[in-house]
Formats: sequence, C-alpha cells, structure tokens
Amino acid sequence: MSSSSVAQKRLFHEYRNLSINPPEGIFAGPATEDDMFNWEALIQGPEGTPFEGGVFAAELKFPKDYPLNPPTMKFVGGGVWHPNGDDPNHYEHASERWSPIQSVEKILISVMSMLAEPNDESPANIEAAKMWRDRRNDYERRVRDEVRRGLGL
Amino acid sequence: MSDCSFDIPNSTDWLETPLSLVSPLESSLRCQVCKDFFNNPVITSCSHTFCSLCIRRCLSTEGKCPVCRSSDQELKLRRNWAVQEIVDSFRNARPGMLSLAKHPVDGGKVRGDDNPDGPTPKKRRLNRGETSEESSPVESKMTRLQSRSLRRRAQVAPTEVIEDSEDEDFVPDDGLVACPICKKRMKNDVVFEHLDTCTGPERPSQTTPFSGSLQLRSESPRERPHDSAVTSPQRLPTINYSILKDSVLRKKLRDLGIPDWGPRTLLQRRHMEWMNLWNANSDAKVPKSKQDLLLELGIWERSQGGQAPAASLGGSNSVMHKEFDAAAWSTDHGDEFKRLIANARKRSDAIVRSTIPQSPKGQNELSISNDINAKVTEPNAGEYIETLRSATMGAEQLAYRAEERSGEESGRTEGSSQTQILNATVG
Repeated sequence: MSSSSVAQKRLFHEYRNLSINPPEGIFAGPATEDDMFNWEALIQGPEGTPFEGGVFAAELKFPKDYPLNPPTMKFVGGGVWHPNGDDPNHYEHASERWSPIQSVEKILISVMSMLAEPNDESPANIEAAKMWRDRRNDYERRVRDEVRRGLGL
Repeated sequence: MSDCSFDIPNSTDWLETPLSLVSPLESSLRCQVCKDFFNNPVITSCSHTFCSLCIRRCLSTEGKCPVCRSSDQELKLRRNWAVQEIVDSFRNARPGMLSLAKHPVDGGKVRGDDNPDGPTPKKRRLNRGETSEESSPVESKMTRLQSRSLRRRAQVAPTEVIEDSEDEDFVPDDGLVACPICKKRMKNDVVFEHLDTCTGPERPSQTTPFSGSLQLRSESPRERPHDSAVTSPQRLPTINYSILKDSVLRKKLRDLGIPDWGPRTLLQRRHMEWMNLWNANSDAKVPKSKQDLLLELGIWERSQGGQAPAASLGGSNSVMHKEFDAAAWSTDHGDEFKRLIANARKRSDAIVRSTIPQSPKGQNELSISNDINAKVTEPNAGEYIETLRSATMGAEQLAYRAEERSGEESGRTEGSSQTQILNATVG
C-alpha cells in the first residue's frame, strides 16, 4: 500500500490535469515535486480588462486534509489593486464557497473572473471599490499602471 | 513522500490518443472528491455518487453533499452496485484499451488483422448456415440464431482475456503473481514449483462460465481478505463527543482497538476517521480485514493525525513557532554560539578599552543596546545562521553583559541568553 495520503493523491491528479490540459491563462503546479502541499500559480490578466497583459503570481498552500478544507492563496509581490482586495481568499461569492469537489483549477478560474468582474457586494479594499464604482477610468488607469510596473516596464 | 504517487493513472491519459473522448468517460467514473475511481460507491439522498469513504469524511466535517450542498446523513447513504460494476469492468479493460489507443502502429496492425479475420467468421457463419440448412427461407433464421450464439461466444472470449489482464494488472500491487490455473497469488519464484502440484481451481463452482462474471471478478484473489471473519461487519454508530468524558472516550478507542493517546481533539478526530474507515469498509463487497484498516488509520495518523509533522513551516519560521524547542536548538548550535561569544568578547574588550574607557557602566550598556536594536531591526531575517552572524553585535552585547555580571558564566546563563539573542535577532 502506498504511503501517500488522500490529499497527495488528489493533488497529484489535479497537477496532472492542469499540466496536460490547462485552462487558458493559468499555470499551476507544486513548487517542488517533493512537496505537493505548496503550489505556485501564474494567472494571466483576463483579456479585455485593465488587467490584460499582466501576469499575477500566487502561492497556494494546501491543508493536510485537502480537499475537505480549501487551500489558502496569496498573490506574490504586491498583490493587485482590486475592489475585493488583494487577498484572493475573499474572492468567492457566498454561493461559491469551498466544497471538496472544487479544485485548484476552479479556484484560479474564479480568481481570474473576479479580476474581470469585481464583486461589489463584499469589497475588501473600500478605496478601490469606490474608485471602481465612481471613477472607472481612474481605476482602470491605475490598474494598467500597476500591471505595467509589475512587468518591470 | 512516495514516488509511486507520480504514476497514478489519470483521465488525461486518453487526451493524446485517438480515443480522447474516453477521457470524459473516465472522469465520470471517478469520485469528484478524491479523483480516483469510485471505490465502494454510495449514492446520497440527493442522488450524487461518491466513494463511501470520501462522502463519509465530507459528511462528518460538514454534513452536506459536496455537489449540491443539501444536508445529508451518512445513515441515508445507499450502496451503488451498478456503478461499482461499471468501474470494475472499465478498470479491467483500461490497460488494454489504453495501450491499443497509445500505439497507433499496433492499433493499425490489429485493425489489419481484424479485417482478414472479420470476413472469415462471416463466411464460416454463412457456410455453416448453408451446410446445416439447405433451404434458403430458413437460412436467414438460422444465421440469426447462429450469429447470436456466435456473439455470445464472442462475449466469452473477451471476458476471459479481461480476467487475464486483470491479473496482470495487479502484479505491481502486491508483488505477487497469480497461478494461471488456480489463480492463487504467490511469489514469482514459487509459481513454477507450485504449477507442478497445482490441483486446479480452488472453487470449481466459481469458474462456471459467465454466471455473474462480475461477482467472480470482485472475489478475485486480490481482494480476498486475510480472514473471512469480517464478512458482515457491524457498523459503528456516531458518537456525540460532547457528552463523553475524556476517560470514557479513551476507553472507547481502546475497546475499538485503536490508539488512545493524544489530546481530546485528536481522540475525536481519530475516532471519526476510524468510524468512517470502518463504515466505508462495510459498504465493500469484500470488506478488508481489521488489520488493513488499522494500516490505513496509521497512514492517516502519519499524514493528518498525531504523528503528522507539526506545521511544516520552513527554516526561519520554525524559530518563531510557539513550540520551538529553544533548548534543543542551543545544544545543537552550541559550538556556533560559543564561537560567536568568543568573537564578541574579543571585540567588545577592544571597544570597551579603546572607545569608552571611562564612562559609567550603565550608560555604556545602554548605548550599545541601542546600537543593537538598530542593527537588529534591519530586515535581514532570512537564513537563520546568516542573521545570527550579521548580528554579532548582539553577541558582543551579551558577552559584555556577561563580563559585567562576572561569575554568572555558567552554561545555563549562556543557554538562556542565547535564546534571548535568537529571539532578538529573528524578531
């Protein structure tokens, strides 16, 4: 009997799926293959949004009882200027709360779509939310600037 | 971590083959929680299917169906034999299908072989039809009958092949080989010896052709438990932990034959895991032995339970951890500390003599410690030892103080002061 836990096995399945058949604009996998519980992910800014062209790196940490409990996710390097804050763990709608059938892929896709369409019901970054609601142009300019800065331009 | 986890079969195996459409088929035969093939599938009262163990674990954490979030109870779970049979047959057919799909050259050959083969049975069928019944109106009837029987025969052949391939499949699982005659599993090098004395199938009644071949298969030697005493295990009831005292709970675990050490939360979690393992096992067609379940509990213990590595925080963070063993750290790195202290002493002697020879001692200490604070707050915390070296000043201060205190130079003081530095530098 293999000594790997349910979590490891499941993470490996997800890793295989993501590396062989990745959704567009998303790359993810364990930082080292020795440790399936720490992942790195890259999310491309969705097209047609001010985040377009940006690449956002994130870290995912999985609990030992994954998938019973969700991983935590953190943007690496500065985060993003976004009404829902720069903590992607707060990006979910109430109806999209964690369930064991969710997956890394679904998390990353929902983060991506949250970048495109902020959820103004639960703003975490009030300032950004106000800017997004009242001065959309300023908001988009700021995001674009930050994207450019993030790329080192 | 186990390397073997890196060649788990996965539904993506099909994607690069001409049979890419099998991929969604395979995904739908896999549990959405563990992503593995359904193992003892059960259906919830909201009609979703999961592995028995997976859904039990989910229900005991959240009490809701992972798919639709309607609340459910594990008592309402019902076994789903049909799904189990589909999964079993798919798994049996998988290696053959996959290798056929992966090697189009071979596939072509097979197809090529099929073509000449294809017509022959037809011909034979026709011939037989013609020879046995010469009147043409009856012929069509007969051929249909015959073709049916042929079809049945054709079914027999693949099932036999499948059973063979199944045995091949399981070779890597336990490192044993099945005797081709009696299907008993044994070590590779014993097989030939055994073949000389093999008396044939163990239970001849079971080998009657295709009377419920699936049942046959599931009773294949692989799954035959070590003892047949566990054929109908009693299900374990859920416990309301809050009404139990520690000692009672501990006794319960002992009575169940599982470890009873650890704090209360661990006891509860262990009991819950055992209950899930046990009850899921009672959903199995051929339940495993208690021994096997205990092994699985052991895996749980090592990965999530009491023997799980405490929060796997890396290097510098572990120093900040609440339960960080400062004493062990200072013994481990004692030499390093001593060297630092010696260095610091030399330098602080020099400083004291040259720069501030006459100032009162209290002030002296103050100024240096300010200095140190400035040094220490530099965002330099990375590799621990590096930090420590860069903060030799800290050790200087320590040495200076130690000299002032003169006489308190016992190892114990050193040890505790070391931890002081350690906290200071890292903090």
